Amino acid sequence: MKMRNILLTVMCSALLVLSGCTKKQDANEKVLNIVSPAEIKGYDPIQADDLYSGREISKIYEGLLQYHWLKMPYELVPNLAESLPEISKDGITYTFKLRKGVKFQDDIAFAGAKGREVEASDFVYSIKRLADSRNQATGWWVLDGKLKGLNEWREKNSKLAATNYDEEVEGVKALDKYTLQFKLAKKFPQFLYSLAMPFTYVVAKEVVAKYGKEFINHPIGTGPYILPIFDQGKKITYVKNPTFREKFYPSEASDEFKNLLSDAGKKLPLVEKVVVHVMVEPQPAWLKLNKGEIDYYSVPKDNFATAIKNNKLSDELVKKGFILEIAPQLDVTYTAFNFENKLFHNKKLRQAMYLAFDEAKSNTLFFNNTAFPAQSIIPPGIAGNIKDYKNPYKGLKLEEAKKMLAEAGYPGGKGLPEIKYDIPDSTPSRQAGEFFQKQMEQIGIKLKVVSSPWPEFQAKVKKKSVEIFGLAWGADYPDAENFLQLFYGPNKSPGANGSNYDNPQFNKEFVEATTMLDSPERTAKYEKLNKFLAEEVVALFGVHRQAYILEHGWLKNYHPTDLHHDAIQYLNIDTAKKAQLLKNF
Amino acid sequence: MNLYLYIFRRLLYVIPVLFGVCLVIFVLFNLVAPDPAYTLLGKHATIQQINELHHELGMDKPFIVQYLDTVKTAFTFDFGYSWASKQNIWDMIKAGAGPSLSITGPLYILSSLLSISLALLVAYFRGKFIDKFVLVLSIVGLSIPSLAIILFGQWFFAYKLGWFEISGYENGFPNFIPYVILPIILYVFIFFGGDTRFYRAVILDEAYQDYVRTARSKGLSEYKVMFKHVLKNSMIPILTNLIIQIPSLILGLLLAETFFSIPGLGAMVVKAINNSDFPVIKAMTILSAFGFILFNVLTDVLYTVVDPRMKLK
Repeated sequence: MKMRNILLTVMCSALLVLSGCTKKQDANEKVLNIVSPAEIKGYDPIQADDLYSGREISKIYEGLLQYHWLKMPYELVPNLAESLPEISKDGITYTFKLRKGVKFQDDIAFAGAKGREVEASDFVYSIKRLADSRNQATGWWVLDGKLKGLNEWREKNSKLAATNYDEEVEGVKALDKYTLQFKLAKKFPQFLYSLAMPFTYVVAKEVVAKYGKEFINHPIGTGPYILPIFDQGKKITYVKNPTFREKFYPSEASDEFKNLLSDAGKKLPLVEKVVVHVMVEPQPAWLKLNKGEIDYYSVPKDNFATAIKNNKLSDELVKKGFILEIAPQLDVTYTAFNFENKLFHNKKLRQAMYLAFDEAKSNTLFFNNTAFPAQSIIPPGIAGNIKDYKNPYKGLKLEEAKKMLAEAGYPGGKGLPEIKYDIPDSTPSRQAGEFFQKQMEQIGIKLKVVSSPWPEFQAKVKKKSVEIFGLAWGADYPDAENFLQLFYGPNKSPGANGSNYDNPQFNKEFVEATTMLDSPERTAKYEKLNKFLAEEVVALFGVHRQAYILEHGWLKNYHPTDLHHDAIQYLNIDTAKKAQLLKNF
Repeated sequence: MNLYLYIFRRLLYVIPVLFGVCLVIFVLFNLVAPDPAYTLLGKHATIQQINELHHELGMDKPFIVQYLDTVKTAFTFDFGYSWASKQNIWDMIKAGAGPSLSITGPLYILSSLLSISLALLVAYFRGKFIDKFVLVLSIVGLSIPSLAIILFGQWFFAYKLGWFEISGYENGFPNFIPYVILPIILYVFIFFGGDTRFYRAVILDEAYQDYVRTARSKGLSEYKVMFKHVLKNSMIPILTNLIIQIPSLILGLLLAETFFSIPGLGAMVVKAINNSDFPVIKAMTILSAFGFILFNVLTDVLYTVVDPRMKLK
């Protein structure tokens, strides 16, 4: 009896302890809980070359322009600029008027620890900082060769003992306190997109000077949120910026976003606090989403079959009030040839390989059949993508592939050396590599799959030491130029054209198209170039992926997006609905 | 030999060992590891930028100079700044040590106490049901991959039963407690099999010695036989196993920290490896090597305490 009592006491105490091991959610708090599936590199805008760092940086820093939250196709609108720029007739000079009264967040770097007003000279400094070779900016490519005198300034200063930021550069000038002028080295209409990218966000000279090397961990911008502490940890907590200017939720929307107008005209940001959980592994993030501890998350590959059937949510998830958002991504997966290798100048060989590849099976195996087969390089949603176009060489057409390989001079693969297929080192990449290897075996082409860690893979491509290689490209901005440039001759490795494809005719027409302003004529040119690359089979285009995101019923104004790095300021929590829905969890 | 002289002499071994460790990490970093410039500069890096970064990081210096820089770091403990996060490495270590130790510390104590106690128990009841039961449990613990145990634990105990937090961490006592209980419990199970089997073998080896039979025939109680004689005489291999684990406590648990989103040193090392962040990798390797040497000396000293027959030479 005594033993039983002891056991009972121990069990009750254990239960009491366990019940105190979890934290209860407060549904009344306007706190947004989101996941970053990758570690955050830090908060220096000029180093924001990955999507996840870009998203975090955009909570704190801002640029001249931004994408309209409720309009598709993507539309640039002013952010720290008062209006869109005045562009000279020759398309070379862009003059911006700045919004007045925008302040940097309070910090000890400023006099009296109070953030001062943003001026045109801050933008000049920020652009020069991006160009300063001492900063090793990952974002330098957006302005490399674009602004008059900036490359020369960079080159000259790299040889000096210290960078001279006071030296004037013709391409970027503060005409007065609120007027900023850019002069392009040559016509480049895509320039405006670079002003909506995190690389060109404005920073304050005093803050950079104060924190030196550790500036990357002390973000002080003009944005909607402040970050009191950043310790490179797994939980990043932002709070509303008390000095944030008057910025309001948009009142206009494209048809597909008309249902997101309930907060129109409200002052931004809409939630008090944002907690970002850095969770590299999808399983715990998925469990947290299902417990209501995070507000939205993409459906992990391993949970897809149980969560979604025929593009509809399972009954269990519907009961919990989840909403499924499906959105095409501005990207393309592809297998590239290294054209420095003469073997791949054989067009029929490239076509045979494409015809032998079972894209439908690959889509089922690796994308749960959710992706769009890519017929060409430009994804849907970007001018230049040809609706209903079917690439005549896209597989699976096995007999045609065998015939084409024979015409290429390698009947049944005879005489063809083993081809190295380089891929980044990850389980899905390896599986996809092995699948591709088996597909090619069907027509007698032997491949050797070589996987390397990402930096090594990248180095191999840059050093042109690959034969064929698999990768994906996501849009930096919504313009076909960003995709077509992957095959533009002067961009050869170590540039973005890792294929080293160099066709004078394509190069000429590429330059013509990319210097034109947005117009039906330009779209026609883009379409022509897109079709040319597709039928030349310069690469084996795989799929354009789609995002499958689950959001809770209490989350307001959300839609999946590739380019709105600053999306968080528009999101809201319906606290009453949250309290009600959480009862079902 | 004088104890202090012995310790001093053993600590002198640190010098050649650190030279060796530096050589190994230097060779691995320069010959095997990918070039960090490609990670740090992103997908649009030009050859000029890569060369500039190599220069800034000192990667274009002669190998011997780079090696001597590494050796200097090892002896001064001045690890500098992380290439990726630009943080002072000592600050990073200080920030990560707390979360790591908040799991590995209690885990070490609990799992050692449990496995030694169970090993004593099953050794005493050798061949009986309890022995077989613990053996089966140990084999189960050893056979199931730790990843499967973590995934199941998170799903069942945290998600289904709601007893624990699924993942996350909050700094400061007692804020971190809700986040570390589940990983500790799961890892006690993961380590239990191997440790218990090892301690059982060690204890059984002693339990069948002649002096134990003599003790029993003298009429000593089983308690005294097991604790005063068997356990005491088994302490050399037990101590070795226990102390050698201490330096790795600091390194944290890579898998647990990744799956439970704990900002410890294990997660920091994984991140450093992914970013080819050589200064961080170098710092952690040097500190580990130093820790292992230090705790090896401690083990030797403790041998003389638990077994007076042993002499330090």
